[in-house]
Amino acid sequence: MRHGRRLFVAATAALALAASGCAIGGDQSDRSDSGKTVVTFRLWDDQVAKAYEQSFAAFEKDNPTIDVQVDVIPWNDYWTKLTADVSSGNVSDIFWTNTSNFGIYADNGNLIDIDKELGDQKNAWKKSVVDLYTRDGKLWGVPQLWDSIALFYNKKLVKEAGVDPAALRWDPDVKNDTFLLAAKKLTLDFTGNSADQPRFKPVKIRQYGFNAALDSQAIVWDFVGSNGGTWQEGDEFAVNNPKTQQATQYVVDLINKHHVAPSAADTNENGDKSRDLFVQGKMAMFQSGPYNLKNIQENADFEWGLAPMLEGPAGRVGVVHGVAAVGSAKTKHLDETVKVLSWLGSAEGQRLIAEGGYAFPGVTAAEKGFVDYWSKQGVDLKPFQQAAEGTTFPAPVGPRVNAGATAMDPIMKEIFLGRTPVVKGLADAEKAGNDAIKE
Amino acid sequence: MSRLARREARTGYLLLAPSLLGVGLFLILPVFVVLSLSLQQWNLISPARWVGLDNFRSILSDPDVRNSVLVTSLFVLIVIPVQTVLGLAAALLLNRRLPGSNLFRVVYVIPWICAPLTLGVVWRWIFDPSDGALNALLGQRIEWLSSTTLALPAVAAVAVWSQVGYVTLFFLAGLNAIPAELYEAARMDGADGRRVFWHLTLPLLRPTTFFVLVTGVISSFQVFDTVYAMTRGGPAGRTDVIAARIYHEAFEAFRLGRAAALAVLLFVLLVVVTLAQQLYFRRRITYDLS
Repeated sequence: MRHGRRLFVAATAALALAASGCAIGGDQSDRSDSGKTVVTFRLWDDQVAKAYEQSFAAFEKDNPTIDVQVDVIPWNDYWTKLTADVSSGNVSDIFWTNTSNFGIYADNGNLIDIDKELGDQKNAWKKSVVDLYTRDGKLWGVPQLWDSIALFYNKKLVKEAGVDPAALRWDPDVKNDTFLLAAKKLTLDFTGNSADQPRFKPVKIRQYGFNAALDSQAIVWDFVGSNGGTWQEGDEFAVNNPKTQQATQYVVDLINKHHVAPSAADTNENGDKSRDLFVQGKMAMFQSGPYNLKNIQENADFEWGLAPMLEGPAGRVGVVHGVAAVGSAKTKHLDETVKVLSWLGSAEGQRLIAEGGYAFPGVTAAEKGFVDYWSKQGVDLKPFQQAAEGTTFPAPVGPRVNAGATAMDPIMKEIFLGRTPVVKGLADAEKAGNDAIKE
Repeated sequence: MSRLARREARTGYLLLAPSLLGVGLFLILPVFVVLSLSLQQWNLISPARWVGLDNFRSILSDPDVRNSVLVTSLFVLIVIPVQTVLGLAAALLLNRRLPGSNLFRVVYVIPWICAPLTLGVVWRWIFDPSDGALNALLGQRIEWLSSTTLALPAVAAVAVWSQVGYVTLFFLAGLNAIPAELYEAARMDGADGRRVFWHLTLPLLRPTTFFVLVTGVISSFQVFDTVYAMTRGGPAGRTDVIAARIYHEAFEAFRLGRAAALAVLLFVLLVVVTLAQQLYFRRRITYDLS
């Protein structure tokens, strides 16, 4: 049995695979060298982290006994690591979360009750974000930033095609639809024929009209919302209804039937594909959120503008999504942690995030700083603000909503590739999603 | 045992201690953790619960798990023959010591040294339908990684490409161990090149072949990084290998119990396959060259 031992080792390695992801970083010391109490804060965005560092410098001046340590974990590992760390009790005192991920922690008593600790500050915060983080009547997070949806457009391209990006309306009923024709006019094949002409050949497209794709936040949920459809009822997925089917069909047709958007083979696995095309001047209209402002500003060497998101049969109903800072209920320094949370929920604490142009701040009083930063760059953010004030579409929530979304994802991808019919696909996706949210 | 022997034994164990500790902590202990997890239901956050064999029952009746066993088997069936034949061919060529052999010996091994995840990302660029190097070279648009028929062969091709150098190295070592007199004797008896290969080289390489096949099958059954970087198990589950499913269950669906049960299933599969390989080779003679 010369190879017996090798086999055993190799086979145990197979088993170890399942456990290897659980490796957990070392303990962080509670006290820094100077005897201050260390409060740790974790987030995924290294840009915003810079603004936080500066903001905490001001905080530490007023609170000389507290040392806030900012820890950036990249997005790709963030949720896996967070879950493992919460599980092992190694999580930081405060951490960023999004709406699809906080439910499980709130339901399991891992979070500090913000209503109880900081309820008096609540009125200063963006109401839509407060609503997103209220679960079973209690608020669990301090709003940090929020996103809504608007339409980025390439000024030169829309002007040449004679399209007014602010007056576009999509409708499954062709009589009421002005968007499709505009998108077709803005889509050009390699010889320069636009998609509204009979000579248009969809084989080699050099310029796309619009970013129809499996982009939940900026496209799918917004089309569904603007058609009066639903995605979720309570914590359950509810995508198998006529309005949602109709909206999804419309988006899928934009890609596979009308060819005004890149193929799903390009966008399914590369979430930045459409933004890259827009920045390269190869896409005329790009519906997205303020999270892409900086990238577009830095990389697009043409004039661009912002228009309201597309109007649908039920109006302009877009996703408002927010990021919140939540406190770990297991923190060893509750008082200090609450103090830092309170700073994170103050206009002064968020001023640098806003004035640095990073994101719409969760504290409404700081919003002007963000708007001013961009108006100095020649960008009017009103479309985002209007989208947040109008009717909005709730991003999915629930303790296991992520497990549900990952189960639905392969099916949604097939729908967008045009290989699974929309009606059947959505029925399958709903079932897969709801099976996955059960344990 | 004499005092000296005892002291030597103590020194021996002392020297072994660091690696023993490593093996115990990172290999043996996790095995038992996984075994115990496979009998529990746990999402990392809420307290774990003993559920007996429920996890095994649920994975064995899960069509996605059946699919991933099938996909993994297909992957192994593509990768192993191709990489073994190519590796042997490359070793035979390099063994002729033509000018430049040393350079190629290094070149072949480079992909095996690189991190599979990085290679996967690079290959995803190469396979990109619009801007990919491969389609640019072919002059036509082929959607490699979103095609339900091409995705698995594409991933398998990358796996072969990255492992073939490793296989080549072992065959080269095996070839070097064959005494030159045997070849001389064969030639003297009038055997041509083909006969020498089939009746001398190949039989004498059997221990190497066995080793290369066993380790190759095991690592192919466990493939994860390449798949994760290139397709994440898509499209429509066509590259959803067992290890990708384990990752999905553990860290996307947060069902640690089911993930552990799947890991145990993979372990059992590997034991069966390896035992079968061992039986096959044991029935054939191995020559002692020492």
